[in-house]
Amino acid sequence: MGMNETAASRAEAVRNAIYRACLFLDDGKFKEWLTLCAADFSYRIKTYSPEIRKEMTWYEQDWSGLSKAIEMLPLHNTDHGRLTRHATVYEVSLDPSGSEASATTSFVCYRTMLDGINAHLDAGETQLFLIGKYHDRFRFGAEGPLFTERTVYLDTRRLDKGTHYPI
Amino acid sequence: MSELRKEPVLYDSGQSMPYVDSRIYSDEGIFAEEIEKIWKKIWLVTVHESELPEPLDFRTLTIAREPVVIVRGTDNKIRAFRNVCPHRGNLIVRKPAGNLSVAEPSGNANYMTCMFHAWQYDCFGRCVDIPRMKQGYQDRLRKEDISLEALPCEVKHGGFVWLSLNKNVEPLAEFTGEAFDIMKVELDTEPLDIFHYHKAIIPSNYKLWHDTNSEFYHDYMHYFNRATSMMQKGYFERQYTAFPNGHCTVGSMEVKYEAYQGAKERPLSFPGMPRNGWKMVDLFPGATYNIRGSSLRVDTTTPIGPNLVMIEFRGLGLKRDTPEERAQRIRDHNTIWGPFGRNLHEDLLGITGQGVAMRPGTEPRQVLHGRHENNSIHDEIGMRHFYAEWQRRMGRSPSDPMRELSLAAE
Ligand code: FES
Ligand SMILES: [Fe+2]
Repeated sequence: MGMNETAASRAEAVRNAIYRACLFLDDGKFKEWLTLCAADFSYRIKTYSPEIRKEMTWYEQDWSGLSKAIEMLPLHNTDHGRLTRHATVYEVSLDPSGSEASATTSFVCYRTMLDGINAHLDAGETQLFLIGKYHDRFRFGAEGPLFTERTVYLDTRRLDKGTHYPI
Repeated sequence: MSELRKEPVLYDSGQSMPYVDSRIYSDEGIFAEEIEKIWKKIWLVTVHESELPEPLDFRTLTIAREPVVIVRGTDNKIRAFRNVCPHRGNLIVRKPAGNLSVAEPSGNANYMTCMFHAWQYDCFGRCVDIPRMKQGYQDRLRKEDISLEALPCEVKHGGFVWLSLNKNVEPLAEFTGEAFDIMKVELDTEPLDIFHYHKAIIPSNYKLWHDTNSEFYHDYMHYFNRATSMMQKGYFERQYTAFPNGHCTVGSMEVKYEAYQGAKERPLSFPGMPRNGWKMVDLFPGATYNIRGSSLRVDTTTPIGPNLVMIEFRGLGLKRDTPEERAQRIRDHNTIWGPFGRNLHEDLLGITGQGVAMRPGTEPRQVLHGRHENNSIHDEIGMRHFYAEWQRRMGRSPSDPMRELSLAAE
């Protein structure tokens, strides 16, 4: 393969990894989601508050922190509504070295209600939960790209009761 | 439950089974009366001074449906005004926050401009410009006679801005009394700084949120708290103390954060606060200061309807934090208290469920506030004390709320 073909296929692999991550997250397969991430993966959810005029970090975990949080989800009372993402990868850029890449993905996340308010009335209703962008970093290995970083940058700041699930 | 003896009013009788009638959480008329008799009368804690650090910085909000703007003057003093234009009643400042040095499209820098007909006001609330004043009003109206209504406003208890819509409100020190003594050193030794803000609008009554903040029996709902607190030494010794005007506090314990897998000890603290300590101040009618070792959380509620409340959550550290210390406080705060934290989501689900079960039009129910355990952590004294004050201000018994008491308060 020539340089350009390699670059194109690497960009394609990055896009695929992002969409695969969305499918795992949509299905609540969080452990499987983590298999797409490197051991040094870091995850954070950020947003900017025009109220206090500061950037805020609303959640921050490394791979093992996420793994433990996921294991303990069943011990927590939670809103079991299903979160579904609709994502479009807007941009993939390969580092000059060719071994790392970054990507920007615009996404919408809906919540299909189950037990969050009054199941008899609301279960089955889909609401817009939040919108934002994924800013991802990847490293290429033998198996293809692994996530090394994900920053979920939210536009939506009123999340009402919030969620225990990764976005 | 029918075998339980439930007696009205006697909140601290020691023998009876105190309860409130669920209509205090759902009735439109009671809600409207609460706005008038409580929310428009009382001191309320609002934003933090670090949200307006520079002269001409402002913040906007609504209290009891009244638009308010808070401005730091060129003299560095923080003032609050009704954010309503005396001309045709428009909202004046529309952004949540900013600095008045940035001119509005129809106004000048350093002023609050009502975009409608461009009347302008300075940071002291004085009207400084009325376009074509002479032509339209001749000598019947002069800008010198127009100003925004200033509200009682004090910066206190950790640098928070306290407001009242009531011009004749008692001094703030009289209202809070000794309720902050437990947290005085932590709050007032050195300046605090805000790092977190988020809000939630929940279909539930504002008092249900304050009730949750005023009882710890619901730690059964939180896996995190069961592991790190309820199972730990000192938990059942934590004491409630009730103060005049409906406030109460909860004393400290040492939280074992390591008992929750993945959570870490919190080495950072506040002046005077033991590491991993935890104390709370609950303030009538709907605010809470909560320090868990490294971070201070302050909840403020804005009632919107009997079954709708906005809750704002603020997180604060010390102004002198290094970037590393600040990042640690933020992590500690958000692990449990952010919108993706373990505890807050559960608390909000709790009052959402109550909002369903006690929404307007549901059958009146008796809601028990009857745990007596020598004012220790699972005692429901915090809620009973709140409702004793509610009764005093409303002239209604929370357990028989549809009947006005003959001896109305004040
Ligand atoms: S309503 Fe404000 S200038 Fe007319
Ligand atoms: Fe709680």
